[in-house]
Amino acid sequence: MNASDLPSSVRRLLGSLVDASVRERIAISVAALFASLLVGAVVIMAAGLVATCKEPFLALGGSSFCYDPWEVYYQLFVSPFLNDFNTALMLKETTLLLFTGLAVAVAFRAGLFNIGAQGQLVFGALGSALAVLWGAAFVPTGVVGSLVLIPFGLVVGAVVGGLYGAVPGLLKAYADANEVITTIMLNFVATNVAFYLVSTYFKDPASQSVETKSVPAVAQLKPVLGRFESTSFSVWALLTGLALVVVIYYLLFHTSFGYDMRISGIQPAAAAYGGVDAERLVVGSMVLSGALSGLAGAVYVLMVLGRWRTGIPAVGFDGITVSILASNNPLGVVPAAFLFGILKSGSLSISFALGVPKQLVGVLRGLIILFVAMPEFFRMVGLKLGVGDRQPVATDGGRPVEGGDDDE
Amino acid sequence: MAVARSREVTTMNRKAIALVVVAGVALAGLVSVAFFPAGSIAAVVAVVDANYLGAALRLTVPIAFAALGGIFAEKSGVINIGLEGLLIIAAFVGIATTYTVGGGQAAVWIGFAAAVLASTLFALLFAVVTIEFKADQIIAGLAVWLIALGLGPFTARVIWGTVNSPSVPTLNDWTVPVLSEIPWVGPVLFDANPTVYMLLVAVPLSWYALNRTAFGYRVRASGENPRALDTAGVNVSLVRYKSVLISGVFSGIGGAGLALGQVGQFIGSGQTMVGGRGWIGITAYLFGNYNPIATFGASFLFAALDALQIRIQQIPGLDLPGSLVRIVPFVIVIVVLALIGKTRLPSAAGEHYDSDED
Repeated sequence: MNASDLPSSVRRLLGSLVDASVRERIAISVAALFASLLVGAVVIMAAGLVATCKEPFLALGGSSFCYDPWEVYYQLFVSPFLNDFNTALMLKETTLLLFTGLAVAVAFRAGLFNIGAQGQLVFGALGSALAVLWGAAFVPTGVVGSLVLIPFGLVVGAVVGGLYGAVPGLLKAYADANEVITTIMLNFVATNVAFYLVSTYFKDPASQSVETKSVPAVAQLKPVLGRFESTSFSVWALLTGLALVVVIYYLLFHTSFGYDMRISGIQPAAAAYGGVDAERLVVGSMVLSGALSGLAGAVYVLMVLGRWRTGIPAVGFDGITVSILASNNPLGVVPAAFLFGILKSGSLSISFALGVPKQLVGVLRGLIILFVAMPEFFRMVGLKLGVGDRQPVATDGGRPVEGGDDDE
Repeated sequence: MAVARSREVTTMNRKAIALVVVAGVALAGLVSVAFFPAGSIAAVVAVVDANYLGAALRLTVPIAFAALGGIFAEKSGVINIGLEGLLIIAAFVGIATTYTVGGGQAAVWIGFAAAVLASTLFALLFAVVTIEFKADQIIAGLAVWLIALGLGPFTARVIWGTVNSPSVPTLNDWTVPVLSEIPWVGPVLFDANPTVYMLLVAVPLSWYALNRTAFGYRVRASGENPRALDTAGVNVSLVRYKSVLISGVFSGIGGAGLALGQVGQFIGSGQTMVGGRGWIGITAYLFGNYNPIATFGASFLFAALDALQIRIQQIPGLDLPGSLVRIVPFVIVIVVLALIGKTRLPSAAGEHYDSDED
């Protein structure tokens, strides 16, 4: 089942489709980002109108505005680079988002919308924490222990996440159940089941909150660089994430499995014509996607928290934005994850320094997706400004927007 | 993904599935009876009374209204998966407005109107983005959800300092004299929240509008064969705009019904107080095969499960873990989706339509 099985004309058509539009997609993502920040500024102004404060930055007539969008964006984008603590925070978020961004992108390329990265992450994190706690008894301390325990924890996280990702994959492949809805339902299930398991069986008796015991020091991903000491960012994890970007890129664009995935995402009919086993491909893609999410969970446990605790942040949901902003291209995930790393770190600064709720980043997340979803909008704006006249590209990196009969 | 395997599901199959689900619930009840002491059996059985049915009907409101709206949008060719977001926006604006206006029932009704307006405006945004700017409907719907998921808690913190609001008054129940005295039926149907009455009116009305009016015919044609509708001189975009706006109005009533009809507070942590009811609504109308009456039945089934899990947790001595009981409705949704499989979407759902005039 590889590329050569397809008629060469189809192959050439699809190939040119993917290459020709890369620049255009980057332009759309950048434009979407700026459009979101523009709308975000309006939201900030409006919120400042509602909020009460001692020193509004602007008073117009009888109303006063508490938040200065310029200052908010300055804090949001610049403060992550101003001190080591913020920088470590930014790189930590970037690292986690590399994994979940890749997870969503891989599924998306195969035409599957994995909204369940969050649930796969929650279970992967729990599996990893429990595995490391169990395994710690059998390994020596010191470097050897780390070399055994950390990979073990990562692998178990990936396996558990992959198995949980297989559930919506199987439901999609063999029962035609829409993966958008099943993955969202499975997120609720994962959160509640993990909560039950930990509170009933694996709770740290010394703790008031629902959390496992702390994993031993040898199993924790330590900050390697001196300047990030006492932060929860490990260069090793970042490097692993970047290496995975390369691996996934290679898998998608230079292996027959990746080719089958992409063709299935763009043209299911062509894939079937080429002899792709659609069911197996759906399950395989979801397992891979789930494994990457589970890996994110493992990294979260081993690098950030050192244990599993209820209330895991929405890294999985942010992975959706990262992937969409990256046009579901593994290489694009790097700058997109970096951008969201900045936003995540900056969100704490705006909350701390300016009193602007950090949930602002949640609003920006939605706005970015909305704008990326409408290339036509930018094409119209572009036409008004007299630049470009080509047809828009599809948001999912797949077939063009005008495609009509593909779903039949 | 329709390569040679789009299973058509007949009405017969759906009835069978409904039976399977009901039987499954009954079986679960029997199993729990077998495992728990005799006193608990009585307690579980006693849960199902008029009070319980009333609660289930109240919980049906957000699910069924979202689902009814979803039917109109999808029948016209616009898949609106942003229903969850519309519910969140309506719930938030309803509470925030009632809180700001202050006072009694009048304030609650003003909040209710504001909630519907906000949800409708959001739906208009979604309509412009998908119809005018030809955005991918699934991704734009996801964006509507995520924007609402960010905007609700964000604004809540701006106003109240936390993601949760203080309590506000809720809509008083309306009691129909005499009829409410009828045993069982009376307290459920004639001593209920105004939003429940709205739902009981909206369901047959939606069925009638879709199946017996010219507008309903246009909505269906716009989703099945927009070209033909266009040829007949009907503005396809306008039909789709109207349908998406209807989904906004309905979701607004649903979200306000949840916030101002029962909870009386905005809860912005996690997935917010809406907690997936919009997604369940989507499953409900797929289960109900776009038929408003059947969709209402499916919504009621999911809501009844939700009400049951709340009741079961309140039974003293029956020590079921809440976090496990809570997942029951979600698991049932997955099972139902797997059983009904691929539904036959309107032919042109998810596609843009360009009339050749421009």
